[in-house]
Amino acid sequence: MNHFCREASQLQSDAFERQLTLSEHIRLRIHLLICEACRNYADSLKLLNSFFHNLRKQVQQDEGITLPDSDRERIKEALSRTSDSAG
Amino acid sequence: MVQETLLAAWRGRDRFAGKSSVRTWLVGILKHKIIDHIRKEIRDRKLSEAVKSDPTSSLFNADGSWIEAPENWKENPQELCENEQFRHVLQGCIAKLPEKQQIVFRMREISGEDTETVCKEAEITPTHLHVLIHRARLALRTCLEFYWFGGRRS
Ligand SMILES: [Zn+2]
Repeated sequence: MNHFCREASQLQSDAFERQLTLSEHIRLRIHLLICEACRNYADSLKLLNSFFHNLRKQVQQDEGITLPDSDRERIKEALSRTSDSAG
Repeated sequence: MVQETLLAAWRGRDRFAGKSSVRTWLVGILKHKIIDHIRKEIRDRKLSEAVKSDPTSSLFNADGSWIEAPENWKENPQELCENEQFRHVLQGCIAKLPEKQQIVFRMREISGEDTETVCKEAEITPTHLHVLIHRARLALRTCLEFYWFGGRRS
């Protein structure tokens, strides 16, 4: 008997990178219904994906706080110009 | 050289013990230095992908089934994110990936570049990128299951 797990693992990774075709999507869904191992693999990819997403979000927030003074001045200037012309 | 940089980062991890924030760990070590260095590496020489860097042959039987079924991970991604030890283990597992997988994986997941940018920088097609990322995820998951989710907690 031929198992779909190897192909399913590629499709599960691809799902984060591109839109799966309808037939890929359906084959994957059906396989996940019957295969616990691949469901576990799916869950771990989702966990890693949200982990990296959280990391990137934290880094963006931290970088926003630590803007160099020169940049902050320029932004302030630009903002005041915008509000001047608007008013 | 990439390996050396990663090794240095890995060895220097103790300096960050205690009060290390995600920012010092990630921005300082992973993001800028390594990604910039990696881009230079790509420009300087074409990186080749060895046959042995395909983990699927060691993870799947010939009939396409898992040799060892993935276990169920019960962890909260937000808690993991704040867990310094986990980040060190993850860093070690990423450092073990074959060079090219490591490059595209870092650009994609840590730097957050889009597919188009990664393909351009690494000079590969989207299809090739998908294969590399898939292999990286398989290998990374296996490594984490061994060093974090499996062995160390049981
Ligand atoms: Zn399966």
